[in-house]
Amino acid sequence: MSDALIIVTEEKPVGALVAAAKGLGGMVTAVVVGPRALADAAAAAGPAAVKWIEPRPGVPVEAYARPVARLAAAAAPRAVVTSATAEGRVLAGAAAAELGAALIPGGLTLSAVGDKTVVVRTDLGGRVIESVEAAGPMVTFYAGDDIAVQGSAGVPIEPVAADGAADIRIERTEPAAGADAGITKASVVVSVGRGLKKKDDLTIIEGLANALGAEIGCSMPVADDLGWVEKDRYVGRSGQHIAPRLYIAIGIQGAPQHLEGIRNAKVVVGINNDPAAPIFKSANYGILGDLYEVVPALQAALGK
Amino acid sequence: MKTVIVYKWARDSEDAAVRSDGAVDWRNAKMTAGEDDFAALEAAKALSRDGDLIGLTIGSGDASWALARGVGQATLIIDAPSLIDNASTAAILAAAVRTIGGVDVVVIGDSEDYSGVPVALAGLLGWPAIVQVSAVSAVDGRVQIVRKQGRNEQTISISAPAVIAVSAASPEKNIPGMKEQLAARKRPITKLTLAEIGVSAADNVSSQGTRLPETTPARIFEGDPAAACGKLVAALRDEGIL
Repeated sequence: MSDALIIVTEEKPVGALVAAAKGLGGMVTAVVVGPRALADAAAAAGPAAVKWIEPRPGVPVEAYARPVARLAAAAAPRAVVTSATAEGRVLAGAAAAELGAALIPGGLTLSAVGDKTVVVRTDLGGRVIESVEAAGPMVTFYAGDDIAVQGSAGVPIEPVAADGAADIRIERTEPAAGADAGITKASVVVSVGRGLKKKDDLTIIEGLANALGAEIGCSMPVADDLGWVEKDRYVGRSGQHIAPRLYIAIGIQGAPQHLEGIRNAKVVVGINNDPAAPIFKSANYGILGDLYEVVPALQAALGK
Repeated sequence: MKTVIVYKWARDSEDAAVRSDGAVDWRNAKMTAGEDDFAALEAAKALSRDGDLIGLTIGSGDASWALARGVGQATLIIDAPSLIDNASTAAILAAAVRTIGGVDVVVIGDSEDYSGVPVALAGLLGWPAIVQVSAVSAVDGRVQIVRKQGRNEQTISISAPAVIAVSAASPEKNIPGMKEQLAARKRPITKLTLAEIGVSAADNVSSQGTRLPETTPARIFEGDPAAACGKLVAALRDEGIL
């Protein structure tokens, strides 16, 4: 039997972390760093044991990387799985070093093949799926969808003293600029990229947005280089991460940087005159054509 | 603070060609400066105002990139290969940081494709780390960091030594001109081998192959814009999206 460890720093993918870890066929131990409610959620997700570190007030999760690494060393698991969050990654990095493990980001599933551990992962910004085999211990950041947890009685939670926390403190937390921008909560977002030729042409985008009751977003260059749209409306990895019901990308090529921001959009429509634009690979629907013709036509079609 | 800026430590995944059978061809892609490298360099400069800033790069990239951007000296690990295992890449960087010696802070771009490298580097050095950082400054001998967390912006104070991974918020502006590039050639690059820094370059893992992801292709409408838009609106209404 093989043993796996999951490191839990937030509630969202805990069901999927347990499921991925169970792919190895052995016992799953959860190490939780966070409030009691998070430990309870992890316990209900089906691991065999839960070890819980409660951060002191004003101390970020990352300060507990050493204690987590010690727990990992004591468990000596074949694999460690965590979510690809800032906190989860730091804790898992410390565990990987302590275990002398390989670290392969982007994990989707884990399996044991003989005495080897195989992770199937997404790579190159989602362009390929790769199987990677490790002879020794392996750490991965889970990159798949969450799996709903089946209601279960849960296992006992073992609190762990967090000796050896690093000297890190949270000085203040305040709403980020743009946190109140309608775009983060909008159910429909119409977003514009470099396909737009001049700032004045934003009026046609605004016309479509009004017809849809949508908020306007943009790609990074439109906000940053050109300054045509407020920076807090730029969608992408380092900008806004949004989850609208409908996202219409107009004149946006679809760089990985941008796609990162719309990963949770339900339906994506790309409007582009380049048939090879990567946006068409990530979209549910596309219209191939000149945005200056397509956008007014789309606005007209909505009125019918 | 004695700061190491790590740059050009990975290949850009956009330089990889994916063939129709899912095989990946890197086409002799070199290690390049990713979009986060520039943001990391700006952050490193903010930490090392007194001039103790050292560039660190590995493998096939041009080491003068940082030197043309105001870094006074650089260390290049000439024979470091590109590896699948992020922890093995981190081990090379960790050995180089130890060789440089007396380092307070390592600043590195928080690459999306190699997101395990900065955190494994911190683990191997035994230093704390904060990643997805947007701004860095030195305050009272400590490192002050700003990072976005959900809809909040968090200010964190961390004591050195530490590893800081910076995410870019905008692309590089003011790309150095010929004058800076010529000046960069006069600045010293210390070239070392893996043997000299005492680390092996073994990949701890092996790829069993790549394939294309299973995706539903987009329904593309083309031709007459009015007709194409009519079909799109009908499809969105059928799906209950409109």
